[in-house]
Amino acid sequence: MHEETSGTAERAPVPEIAVAIGVVALGLFTIVDAHRITVPLSSNAVGPRVFPYAVGVALVVAGVAVVLAVLRGEPGDPEGGEDIDVNAPTDWLTLAKVIAGLALHIALVDRLGWALAAAVLFTVVAWALGADMFRAAMVGVVLGFVVQAIFVSGLNISLPAGIFDGVSLLSG
Amino acid sequence: MGDIGSLVDGFGTALQPTYLLYALLGVTLGTAVGVLPGIGPAMTVALLLPMTYKLEPTGAFIMFAGIYYGGMYGGSTTSILLNTPGESASIITAIEGNKMARSGRGAAALATAAIGSFVAGTIATVALTLTAPALADFAVTLGDPDYVALAVVALITVSALLGSSVSRGLASLSIGLLFGLVGTDNLTGQQRFTFGLPVLGDGIDVVTFAVGVFAVGETLWVASRLRHGPLQIVPVGGGWMTRQDFRRSWRPWLRGTALGFPIGAMPAGGAEIPTFLSYAAEKKLSRHKEEFGTTGAIEGVAGPEAANNAAAAGVLVPLLTLGLPTSATAAVLIAAFQGFGIQPGPLLFENEPDLVWALIASLYIGNVLLLVLNLPLVGLWVRLLRVPRPYLYAGILMFAALGGYALNGVTTDLWVLLAIGVLGYVMRRFGYPIAPAVIGLILGPIAEEHLRRTLAISQGDATALVTTPFAATIYTLLAIGIVATLVLRRRAKRVLDQIVHPEQVDPEVVP
Repeated sequence: MHEETSGTAERAPVPEIAVAIGVVALGLFTIVDAHRITVPLSSNAVGPRVFPYAVGVALVVAGVAVVLAVLRGEPGDPEGGEDIDVNAPTDWLTLAKVIAGLALHIALVDRLGWALAAAVLFTVVAWALGADMFRAAMVGVVLGFVVQAIFVSGLNISLPAGIFDGVSLLSG
Repeated sequence: MGDIGSLVDGFGTALQPTYLLYALLGVTLGTAVGVLPGIGPAMTVALLLPMTYKLEPTGAFIMFAGIYYGGMYGGSTTSILLNTPGESASIITAIEGNKMARSGRGAAALATAAIGSFVAGTIATVALTLTAPALADFAVTLGDPDYVALAVVALITVSALLGSSVSRGLASLSIGLLFGLVGTDNLTGQQRFTFGLPVLGDGIDVVTFAVGVFAVGETLWVASRLRHGPLQIVPVGGGWMTRQDFRRSWRPWLRGTALGFPIGAMPAGGAEIPTFLSYAAEKKLSRHKEEFGTTGAIEGVAGPEAANNAAAAGVLVPLLTLGLPTSATAAVLIAAFQGFGIQPGPLLFENEPDLVWALIASLYIGNVLLLVLNLPLVGLWVRLLRVPRPYLYAGILMFAALGGYALNGVTTDLWVLLAIGVLGYVMRRFGYPIAPAVIGLILGPIAEEHLRRTLAISQGDATALVTTPFAATIYTLLAIGIVATLVLRRRAKRVLDQIVHPEQVDPEVVP
């Protein structure tokens, strides 16, 4: 076996088995945690625990089945898509940037208002995926305010105005 | 028949100018979002759901109907003009349609897809109109054990049929069921899997889950391995459909409809299998076999595209009459109904006749609008394919965040959204199909409630689950069905393999 990657067939199945074991662990946790659900005396033959037990068992069975399938040499098919290069290695940096962009948005949305927080999200994600940051920021700001105005004034859905509290189109 | 009168009343409602406007808005947005690459019908509906939160139910559902059908039309444009395979139900359209587009017959391929979608959508909506009320009347007579049986059928077939690996489908389904358990137990008021967190006390919202797992998950998945290099969009070339094209298309349209509607309407349906079967049938029946896989055969676009749209209408039958979602899109639609305090199921036709019939009437209207929107305006939609990818996915994430926030107006929902998005990423990365999780989330609580009510009435006697004639029949059919579909599936897969790797199967077919 060479270290060079020569297609997906020779990829070490370690992460795949780890995920499948994660499913098994989730199942075990489900069973244990189901045990902690209080069963009121009034409840009938089938109380609030039974279905959780069943789901826990299903998770364990499915996880074990996936482990066995991987060991038999049947790896999972990563989902295809128009913009997906299935054979590319994972780009962890871009992934982290996108997640950070969303986290930043969540942290800012109540403080700055939805429009600006959405502009931040748009800018970070577009930049992470390769767009020019300045242009992305301009598009993001315009989009953020337009969308907020449409939703608040047109569709009557409240979004936080943040620092623009009191501006007629944005706060509802 | 009283149903015709109800349908006329439905048209009376749906043709009011305001509702026509909602329908037009729905089909336009649905097509526009559906055309965007990376966005399937389920994600289209989930992303556009927030727009309807403050509408009154009839207007909202007319708009949903438009979004639902529009998303289907839009998806076929994408698969014909982009030479990379998208979601599985349109993969077949992508194969022949893209070959046609590349040999300069793109306009004809788009036209046969659009007209085929219209023909199939309209015939299937007629079939829906005729079968749904009768099925609803029958469904009223069903008891709790019967619903358990139906839910079991839907759950098992969904996990077995969606995606290529049964064990991963089951894992995905179980994850969805687990998420469905989170919250306060309906029957006893006990907290389950909430970790004492108030945000989880009301359970995990289906819309949050769908937006998280589809939109956020897809964006993360794309971010992790974006296809770089120039976009390859095939220009729309060639003349419109000729008389010969029509002659070659109309039978496939009808055959595709005949395959799509019944299979879509079964609790075990979905749009994937009928498109595969339609493709196989057209290839076998065509007098132009040499065009399949080479220059692109119009039958291979017309049939599967019709099957796809007929199945979409078929899926509405169990959705409206039994409250059973059999596709991820249907699960999101059920969540939308529930958001308005309306429970789809056998009583829907009795309790909300105005709404249901307006919805059905708007399906007819939506189809006509879509034909008009798609034939002359296709060039406009094609431009959407050129949206630069960084902006596209940044926009998707922006709307996902909007949907996650607008529901309750709290940021904790957004953290849940992010966490579910990461889950969606992991599932895509390791080949766990997404749809079973979404369906499990909505179907789990329904199944549990009926199960516990059955056993409460029978005082714990589990045989009550299988002793009603209907339930017994269903379980028997399920056993037969599993065997049959596994066989069908294997055949469908072989067809697909032949299409994707023709050189491996018959090496003599080399241009």
